[in-house]
Amino acid sequence: MSDFIVNWLANVPAFALPYALAALGLIITEKAGVLSLGAEGFLLVGAMSGIGVLLGIGDHPALALVVAAFSAALLSLVYALLVVTLRVNQVIGGLALVFLAQGMTGVIATRAGWTNRPVDGLQPVPLGGLGEVPVLGPILFQHDILVFAAVPLVALVAHVLGRTMFGLRLRAVGDGPDAADAAGIGVAATRYGAIALGAALVGLAGGYLSVGVAKIWVEGMSGGRGWIAVALVIFARWQPWRALAGALLFGGIEALIPRIAAIGVALPQYLVLMTPYLATLAVMIWICLRHDGTSLEPRALGIAHMREERR
Amino acid sequence: MAMALELLGVSKAFDGFQALAKANFAVEAGEVHALLGENGAGKSTLMNVAAGLYRPDQGRIRVRGREVDITGPVEARSLGIGMVHQHYKLVKAFNAVENILLAQGAARYGTGLAEVEAAIRAQGEAVGFAVDLKRPVGSLSVAEQQRVEILKVLVAGAGILILDEPTAVLTDREAEALLVTMRALARQGAAIVLVTHKLGEVQRHADRVTVMRGGRIVASADPASLSAAELTTLVVGATTPQERQPAIRIGGAVLSLQGLVGARSDGLRTLNGLTLTIRSGEIYGIAGVGGNGQTELAEILMGVRRAQDGRIVLAGDDVTETGPKPRRARGLAAIPADRQAYALAGDLSLAENYAVGGLASGRFGGWLRVDRAAIRARTEAAIAAFDIRGARSTRQKASLLSGGNAQKLVIAREFADSPRLVLAHSPARGLDVRATADIHRRLREARDAGAGVLLISEDLDEVMFMSDRIGVMSRGTIVGEFETPADRQAIGAAMVHHA
Amino acid sequence: MPEALPVPLLSAAPEPPRRGRLTVEIRQHATGWHQGLVLAGGLALGMALATAILLACGVGLSDLIQEFVVSVVSSPASLSAVLIQAAPLAIVGLAAAVAFRVRFWNIGIEGQMILGAVAATAVAIHDVGPAPLRLVLMMLVAALAGMAWVLAPALLKIRLGLNEVISTLLLNYVAFNGLLHLLYGAWRDPASSFPNSEQYEAAERLGELGWENLTWALPLAGLLTVLCWWLLNVSRFGFLSRVAEANPRLGEGQGLPMTRVMLAAALLSGGLAGIAGFSICAGVEYRMTQSFFSGYGFSGILIAFLARNNPLGAFVTAILVGVLFVAGQSLQVFYGIPGAMVQLIQAVIVISVAASDFFVRHRVRWVSGRRSDV
Repeated sequence: MSDFIVNWLANVPAFALPYALAALGLIITEKAGVLSLGAEGFLLVGAMSGIGVLLGIGDHPALALVVAAFSAALLSLVYALLVVTLRVNQVIGGLALVFLAQGMTGVIATRAGWTNRPVDGLQPVPLGGLGEVPVLGPILFQHDILVFAAVPLVALVAHVLGRTMFGLRLRAVGDGPDAADAAGIGVAATRYGAIALGAALVGLAGGYLSVGVAKIWVEGMSGGRGWIAVALVIFARWQPWRALAGALLFGGIEALIPRIAAIGVALPQYLVLMTPYLATLAVMIWICLRHDGTSLEPRALGIAHMREERR
Repeated sequence: MAMALELLGVSKAFDGFQALAKANFAVEAGEVHALLGENGAGKSTLMNVAAGLYRPDQGRIRVRGREVDITGPVEARSLGIGMVHQHYKLVKAFNAVENILLAQGAARYGTGLAEVEAAIRAQGEAVGFAVDLKRPVGSLSVAEQQRVEILKVLVAGAGILILDEPTAVLTDREAEALLVTMRALARQGAAIVLVTHKLGEVQRHADRVTVMRGGRIVASADPASLSAAELTTLVVGATTPQERQPAIRIGGAVLSLQGLVGARSDGLRTLNGLTLTIRSGEIYGIAGVGGNGQTELAEILMGVRRAQDGRIVLAGDDVTETGPKPRRARGLAAIPADRQAYALAGDLSLAENYAVGGLASGRFGGWLRVDRAAIRARTEAAIAAFDIRGARSTRQKASLLSGGNAQKLVIAREFADSPRLVLAHSPARGLDVRATADIHRRLREARDAGAGVLLISEDLDEVMFMSDRIGVMSRGTIVGEFETPADRQAIGAAMVHHA
Repeated sequence: MPEALPVPLLSAAPEPPRRGRLTVEIRQHATGWHQGLVLAGGLALGMALATAILLACGVGLSDLIQEFVVSVVSSPASLSAVLIQAAPLAIVGLAAAVAFRVRFWNIGIEGQMILGAVAATAVAIHDVGPAPLRLVLMMLVAALAGMAWVLAPALLKIRLGLNEVISTLLLNYVAFNGLLHLLYGAWRDPASSFPNSEQYEAAERLGELGWENLTWALPLAGLLTVLCWWLLNVSRFGFLSRVAEANPRLGEGQGLPMTRVMLAAALLSGGLAGIAGFSICAGVEYRMTQSFFSGYGFSGILIAFLARNNPLGAFVTAILVGVLFVAGQSLQVFYGIPGAMVQLIQAVIVISVAASDFFVRHRVRWVSGRRSDV
């Protein structure tokens, strides 16, 4: 039993990290008042470009992750153009972006021949004896660099959003774009920045999925995690630390599935695979029932801004 | 003496609508300069040009005699121009310090907070404002929010202050205090622009008045040199004065509210045991400062919000637990305050907006087929009968109508079935004088035809002018009832003492 | 009477030069011509981008013309393939249009298709009911199953305000895993042991019309199109749905059943999606496979979006998307173009059209920046 728990806990970070990174990115974007339904697309783009680097350039996992983040940010400019400059409905824009990313990654990866080719990917940071410590070793010290970077990253985002002028401006744009505009803050520029920055983190999450966890590219491999991350942000009420907690919760559930199968309990595999989605749905219902789920939502979320609007 | 701010030949169009046509305006240091005009005259647009929010299509701006190009709010601020907008430009989730820090554009958050807080305290003491600095401004009263706005402008060191309709949401007493403060600032050398549509304020507090009409400047003068009648004529053009017309025949009760309790969507209880009775053939006016439960009262009466306690008896039947449909069947007609919410759909055609009213009656066809010809014919008849201007076709979107004509369309629909109770919530808000007179005439006609009319308005003058009885509403109850003609001072006192 | 002073005329000072600039304003009204022109422009831009992508992938221009135009009009077999493809596309297009008409973002069409197909297949496998009525029964349970799958998201939105985009999407993944559970378990084809259902019997298949391979799926799609058109454009329900789309609070205030209209439209959408799933299984593949639904959810959204939620327009658009599907298949076979290309092209077209819509809703104007002649 204790083996089971150790194995399970040791696997939680790998499952939780993509959620945590994606949710952090979405928080940045949504704090600036831009709904981000495109997460699933950014995950795919990040995942594919990460593998692309490993297969096309060579075994440089760090470079692969940087490129994953960068490609998602690049694609997010299309989204920004649509919803900030051209003021397209953000639901339509977000969906269109997911479909674009699905089609694009499918075409590029197939033509480049990246599909179903295993890579070495990201390896655990060697910490010598620490990893050998019983129980705590596997749980705490046999992880790759991104896992160790997660908590500082959450702290950084929480600090920047809450305790810097940049964060104040970003939140102002999401909460009161008219007020921000009157204060001389470039609403459009801030939103472009928040979209690109957020997409970079989601892309990093995607890169981690392929380079760090699966170590392979399969079409559509994000498997709805982007949507779960969107729900997670609502659950976290747009707060970075709560997003980390939520990511651990979801990662914990997901990490449990292969563990149960590994100890030989015969469970209907596909029914078990439904659980993350059902759990997400249950959590969202719970939030709605428990309190006014939108009370901490950025007030201008999903609303395009235009100064010279006159009715 | 050099003018503090001059706007010369400023023009601005929105989607083909000429909001400003070569407008000239100048204010000098040390004066309170009223910019007077009706809603839609272009006052706010002109001042937004000065504040850098709108860029003019044509025209020039001079500040302290120097020609400037104001490309945005930052330039305006650096030139010492500060504007307190009618709809406050505050981030509701932020507290006062964060809001002012945001506008200041400090380099560092931590030190910035401390500096701004010190500056706010200093300025606050100088002008006698006390503001809660810690609570999110969204939870402050409108008067407090306004003080935050003014402090924001003062902390930025503005020498040219523009206040857009600053007294619209204040009680008489708060308004008076604000204007006295502005006078004091002017004495210290500030140039104050007071955008308003209230003649009384101009005559009591302004050194100079500039009058706008239809995007143009029609006059600039010393207000002491003009009578109220002359000012009115400048503002609205030639009009015929209206006379109060009291009720002709008052009958039995059509609506009785007993101990009504209700809350806002966020759970805040805003109606606290409100009781009143409205008889057929009378206009019952509810006076009070906005936010004292008027909106919830109107929504509960319409049936779109549930009362938590109390009873609503409409035309003899208890309708407390019912939705809008049975109430409308018993003769309820509603003119809600927010036309875009419960009254009209801007994206639907005039015909569709008209037909939503009679759909249940079956006169526009049954479930299988909507009779578009009947809808068109009836809408055309209503457009003619209610003098709705600017309707080129019944298929035209309702959003293309001006405020007054949109309100006439609402009234045409609501009055189609001779109502027994008319709920009119701020029916003339934002309308020009002519449209207001039209709307008021329709309300009186409904009353004289035997309906009971509940008129809820934040405009005390409107309530005084229209009502046969007046109830003062404060904190969710009627705190005093007055038979008309009533004493304005007494009503004002009732509003303030319970606020 | 003291006269009002005229506005002082101020002398003109020397002017620094000023550059012109573009301004953007909300356009209150756009004529039908204007909208049509912009839509055409957006489509043209999307098709130009799609062509560029295909050219970049090494397909020649003449090959594209051959695949997308010539073969469709010259070969009955190709035309019939397009129409066969168009039938389920039209039905999912209707499903999306009906839901979007009341601003219910039903992104769960694929999940509802799966549920519909599963229900229909259950009837087929277990030979429920007399053979002559089997097909009708299959279609009926497919519709009911699709409705059941959308019921929870619809109620959750109405009662709790839960965002239906996320709930319907999550349910897609649940439905998909449920499908795999069946196909890798109890319903695996005993004949081939492939993960599909066993073949439908003759009584469980939509019959052929007698021209090429066309089946009754096409007339069914046509019938549903006309029904939806009547419902949305003629009946009182259609009027109510327009109010619900434009401003539900207006309807509420008038005592109109806005909530019920929304619920009904959502259920209708789910039911249509269920029928679409049925029509693919019973009209094209004659069994339930593990990917029969793939891509239809997005295409339905695209079709409803391009057709502006008009049922007749959705039918026509479905035929055009059918051309894309069929051409995409032959590009895949003969030119090695990945299957995802069809989705990429659709996404590019949606984005182009959505972007072009900017010029319907806004007026862009050049301001010369010239000083006024004060």
